[in-house]
Amino acid sequence: MKPIKILIFLFITFVAISCTKLDESFRSELEQSSSGNITPDQLLISAYNSLNGPFQTGDLWHVSEHTTDEAIAPTRGPDWDDNGQWRALHAHTWNADQGQITGAYNGLLSSQFSASNVLQFNPSPQQAAEARFIRALSMYAVLDGWNQVPYRSDLTNYKVLPTTLKGKEAADFIIAELNAIIPTLPDTGPAYVANKNGARALLMKIYLNKGVYSNRAAPTFDAADMNQVITLADQIINSNKYSLNDIFYDNFAPNNDSKSKENIYTLFNNASNNRGGNVRGAVFQVSHYNMNPSGWNGFATLSDFYDKFEANDQRRGMYYDYPGALPNPGKRQNVGFLIGQQYDLTVDTALKDRKGNALAFTRTVKLRETGDNLEITGIRVIKYPFDYGTSGDQKNNDWAIFRYADVLLMKAEAQFRTGNTASPLLILNQIRLKRGATPLLAVTESTMLDERGREMYWEGWRRQDLIRFKKYLTPWQEKPTDDPKYLLFPIPSNQLSVNTNLSQNPGY
Amino acid sequence: MRIFKIWLCLILFGAPILTFAQTRTVTGKVMNSTDGTPLVEATVSVVGTAISTKSGPDGNFSLSVPQSARQLKVSYVGFADETVSISSGVMQISLTNAAENLSEVVVTGYGTARKKDLTGATASLKEKDFNKGVYTSPDQLIQGKAAGVLVINNTGQPGGATTVRIRGSSSIRSGNQPLFVVDGVPLSGGSARPGGNGASYGSDGGNPLNFINPNDIANIEILKDASATAIYGSRGANGVVIITTKRGKSGIPQLDVSGSTSVSSVLKKLEVLNGDEYRAALKDYGQTGGDFGGNADAFDAITRTAITQNYNVAIGGGTDNGKYRVSAGYLDQKGIIESSELKKITANLTSSFKFLESKKLGLDLNILVTQTNEGVAPISSFVGFTGNLISQALQWNPTHPLRKPDGSVWIDPALGATTINPLAQLEYFKDRINTNSIIASVAPSYKITDELEYKLLYSVNRQVGVRRGSVDRILNAEGSLGRGTAFISNNEQTNSQVTNTLNYNKQITSRFNLNALAGHEWLIYDTRGNFTGGQDFPNIGLNYYDFLGYATQSSLRTGSYASPTTELQSFFGRAIMNFDDKYLVTGTFRADGSTRFGKNNKYGYFPSIGLGWNVSNEDFLKGNTSIDNLKLRASWGRTGNQEFPSGASLNRYGLGQQSIAQSNFGNEDLKWETSTTTNAGVDFSIFTGRISGSVDYFYKKTTDVLFEQNIVQPAPGGRIWINLPGFVLNKGVEVMLSGRLMRTKDINWGITGNVSFLQNTVDGLAGFYETGELRGQGFSNVRGQRLVNDQPLNVWYLRRFEGLDKATGQSVYADGGNTLYYSGSPNPKTLLGLSSDFSYKNLMATINMNGNFGHYLFNNTAASVLGIGNLGTRNIAKNLINQPIKEAISNAPAPSTRNLEKGNYVKMANATLSYRVGNIGKNIRNMNISLTGQNLFVITKYSGFDPEVNTDAGFGGIPSLGVEYIPYPSARTILLGVNFSL
Repeated sequence: MKPIKILIFLFITFVAISCTKLDESFRSELEQSSSGNITPDQLLISAYNSLNGPFQTGDLWHVSEHTTDEAIAPTRGPDWDDNGQWRALHAHTWNADQGQITGAYNGLLSSQFSASNVLQFNPSPQQAAEARFIRALSMYAVLDGWNQVPYRSDLTNYKVLPTTLKGKEAADFIIAELNAIIPTLPDTGPAYVANKNGARALLMKIYLNKGVYSNRAAPTFDAADMNQVITLADQIINSNKYSLNDIFYDNFAPNNDSKSKENIYTLFNNASNNRGGNVRGAVFQVSHYNMNPSGWNGFATLSDFYDKFEANDQRRGMYYDYPGALPNPGKRQNVGFLIGQQYDLTVDTALKDRKGNALAFTRTVKLRETGDNLEITGIRVIKYPFDYGTSGDQKNNDWAIFRYADVLLMKAEAQFRTGNTASPLLILNQIRLKRGATPLLAVTESTMLDERGREMYWEGWRRQDLIRFKKYLTPWQEKPTDDPKYLLFPIPSNQLSVNTNLSQNPGY
Repeated sequence: MRIFKIWLCLILFGAPILTFAQTRTVTGKVMNSTDGTPLVEATVSVVGTAISTKSGPDGNFSLSVPQSARQLKVSYVGFADETVSISSGVMQISLTNAAENLSEVVVTGYGTARKKDLTGATASLKEKDFNKGVYTSPDQLIQGKAAGVLVINNTGQPGGATTVRIRGSSSIRSGNQPLFVVDGVPLSGGSARPGGNGASYGSDGGNPLNFINPNDIANIEILKDASATAIYGSRGANGVVIITTKRGKSGIPQLDVSGSTSVSSVLKKLEVLNGDEYRAALKDYGQTGGDFGGNADAFDAITRTAITQNYNVAIGGGTDNGKYRVSAGYLDQKGIIESSELKKITANLTSSFKFLESKKLGLDLNILVTQTNEGVAPISSFVGFTGNLISQALQWNPTHPLRKPDGSVWIDPALGATTINPLAQLEYFKDRINTNSIIASVAPSYKITDELEYKLLYSVNRQVGVRRGSVDRILNAEGSLGRGTAFISNNEQTNSQVTNTLNYNKQITSRFNLNALAGHEWLIYDTRGNFTGGQDFPNIGLNYYDFLGYATQSSLRTGSYASPTTELQSFFGRAIMNFDDKYLVTGTFRADGSTRFGKNNKYGYFPSIGLGWNVSNEDFLKGNTSIDNLKLRASWGRTGNQEFPSGASLNRYGLGQQSIAQSNFGNEDLKWETSTTTNAGVDFSIFTGRISGSVDYFYKKTTDVLFEQNIVQPAPGGRIWINLPGFVLNKGVEVMLSGRLMRTKDINWGITGNVSFLQNTVDGLAGFYETGELRGQGFSNVRGQRLVNDQPLNVWYLRRFEGLDKATGQSVYADGGNTLYYSGSPNPKTLLGLSSDFSYKNLMATINMNGNFGHYLFNNTAASVLGIGNLGTRNIAKNLINQPIKEAISNAPAPSTRNLEKGNYVKMANATLSYRVGNIGKNIRNMNISLTGQNLFVITKYSGFDPEVNTDAGFGGIPSLGVEYIPYPSARTILLGVNFSL
């Protein structure tokens, strides 16, 4: 029996040797417990980057523009049906399962987490302030669209549900945050780093819209809030860092980081080090297949909106020469609103559509195109001049979030809402003069709104502006009058089903 | 081809040689082993020849055999075949009733068991049962062969991936493929074959089992219920497939040679318009452009009649104390799509030795080495609206020539920047994959006593794969025109295993037999990968990927990855008890610990119990002549599934470019999912084995379902791995029936069929989850399937199409298309397999058919590739024109039930006609020639390429089922094969 004992002993030894504690260790990632290797600057870059998804022609942009009179994504026969989601946005028939609404909500909240996470890792005071700015911006966008802002203060235990900040409560939170960080944020530096004036511009947005957050259907505007807007605007103006550009599109060009005198806070795009978002998508989404760049032939604007512009208004379109442009020997219009015959900007020949007809964009556009010319319907909009100089997906145009012109317009509006009409007229005409438009003779609520549209089109503000001016529920081209419930987006059903601290917005 | 000709000569001239061989006479008697009664009309044949006779009324036979003959094979209905060496004098040959074949041993997890002792639901397939044809991986051999086992060839790509489901899908989010075990080595389910880096590269992930040469497989056991699979614990829930490779037999070395050549062509072409029809349609729709005057068939241009060659040699032999088998295989399979191919070289050594005077020390040594080289066609399902090779060919304007008069391919701006000439796509595109695999295992064993044996198995499975791809700057593909792109990806995978087992096998009393097993196992999985890619290359006669350093700085991309440490440590045991050959009990237990599990749940425990009752051995049935065997089985047990990514239980921080971000919330409670299976079955054999079969009922409830649930935002990432509080339920009935219909001296005819009925529901999900990503122009961000409570997994959720409006030609949908409806399940409700073999003298015919019923497929190819709106620019499906209602050219081909089709089909998977030539001269033995047709026909109403399809349309990690989207088309293959021994 001796061999048996030896072998049993051997067996046990084998088992013992091969016993393992089953601890998991990472090789291409870091574990939370190895936090000594995680530095706040690396996390801060991720937090900045997290804004690219929602803001730069992403879901937040879609739900802020396609739901308005500025943008439409027509179903072009075999193209752009996409299960009706674009039609639902424009016609205001979305529900709690709508993809872009869900994407925007989750994307913004994810940014909030990225920003909060920086604070866990011993940031410098400025890093902390930058992170809190990013968090404030993402929370503000959620407040604006959904009114309910889940706020997660415990970043380590996922089982603790975030508290929900609603309406004014959320606005107050964000205001307090911004006021707390302004002293620490930098005064100067590139526009893509959170800065004092960027925070002030965000504060202006909140004060300007505060009346909306308490009553979206019938907002009233508190004079104190309006005075805050004016004060903040003056702080920005008096910093003497900004002025209106002679050429509108310098603010959006590939070299806008150096050219723009208006950009206060931007999202950083850089072709060479691969940081940035999908700014090229802004052109791909409108560009016809046979244009350069060969795009997806999608989004357009509506003729009523186009007709708000004067012919000489730079903002309606112009020939623009910029670094990274095509040769454009015919000096054809290459930015702004593209209408009529389009040209090959390298050799200046007239383009054709895929069926061989003239590629001439039409004024008329329908939500569901059924005609034979469905490839070419709708006026196309190019606000960000295409960066032909870089070949990759990443382009150099920084994405403008806050612009000086916006600050001026907000100031004008706040003055207007407190009964001052003289100063707003001066401000509007100051802008119009720069843009090549004729001066206005008077300001009214509708000229205020129209001028915001002309200046800020396709920058993601239109939905908010229409709501504030009580126009969001009125009919416009390819959209009927609709139910007040659409003033708020629904809480996405995939969040409602897991977060019991949320309740569905009324009507959904 | 030259070798092939030599064979042909041998066949033609072999027969006359045979007649000159010298002969001798062998006599003997065939009897029943249990009572010694003579067996009448038993077939006695000389192994390797066509010579045979039948035993007479007293069981006696006399046979004239060639001098070279060595063995006799004796067979009798209902009894196990017996092969014996020819001896002088009257040979006494005893056959054992198959039903009570005491000696038949089958492979089970970590050992073997007597077949009669089994209490679990298993299917056992031997080489003769396998599907015949061109197969690159073992799972294809069992398609349609076992009840409850669904095998789908996802695409027609050579070496393409399969979907294997044993008793349905029990997991929602984690893997549903069964565990494959090759000669005791459990496989990880992955392979080192790198994926394509970029959208246009072929997306079929390849079959991870490709490294096994089907020709080396002796048998495959499929373990289905918990009694059989619980020994595999946390990896047993999806069933287990145990593959045993061929072994050498003692005796002088025998050389087996086989070779085949096959010809493949497209199984089905989709009907699109030809040039003239297109012109007519343009006219009909008042389109002025779009006619270029020609007639071109682009689909013909990209497909070919493809030749496949397959050669295998194996040498086996040895003594009782040392056996070996060495084999080598070569497969050169050309795909039916130009440029696609799979070349595979395998070498396999299996050996088994006994040492010491007592022969108590044993050693098994196995090495399997494989190299595959693939040429991949640009067929990806992850492409945008510019499509892949298949859609480009289908959509090609048939009035426009593919080539210019000078022979070069036409890249024509007149057709639009987004229209890619499929021939250009083929010509200006390269995608090659090289994978090398080795599995080496060494297993010493020691018989401590006659009953007790200790065994150690150590194995290493090492794979490396490299993929190189490029798109020429000439091709007008998005992002590549004027630039050119290229990449190289490398993957490596090293899995090691240490298994210790103690096996105790004893007839304790005359009425009690015990077969017990105890073991410990340690597995380590390790994968790494890296890639480099870039753009902007010149055309200087070199492959871009061979000088990646030329790429522009801004276009260079690189990355690398190493998996977290993944280890699995397990303790297991099993006892199989047999009381009086009537009452059977099998108990198994496994404890599995995994690095993946959260720290609060490091070990999972998986018990099972199986009971069996051999009713036919009861006194009241003794002497019953019509019932040979009747066995009732019942089992209960728990098995697990731990196929979720490593690292899900911990908070991880991912490293991006110069940045770090938290990538998830770790769930420290995370654990395996548990399937509790109850199985009841009956095995029977009646009329001396003329009819046999089994019926099983199973009820499989999976709880703690692994799922990546939407996380409460704000959070890192969008989802968190949890164990769902709900369940997935699979239940069903499986029937297997086998009948020996004719049995005469010259004719033998049998039919075997299996049918299974499956039902599947899910419950406990919070909200719904989307998958089934439908693709193509106008189909962005469209998901057609949902996971939602009280519906089958992956239920279709679509607009309901109600026809075309007569006046406008536009689609009409229920509720104006504003409401989506649950529209049926992609999971087949009924699986069918049918085989028949028929032999007349030396001629033998076998057919294997399979079919799936009761499910719906989404024909995404028809929906978004060939719609009416293409008219004027691209081609359309032929069935859209000349219809009672004229569809408007502007009608949006929106995702709807219009393209949801019943998936029912029956397929003639393969049919073989073979002729046993026998021995030729003194040297060539057992020659057999065969003609096989594979995928001969499909009976179906499904309008796509092939109802056997599963394009990967998963979304957010949730797998899809039942989508066809411009896949690599299926092939029909005719194969001529020869095999013989020396």
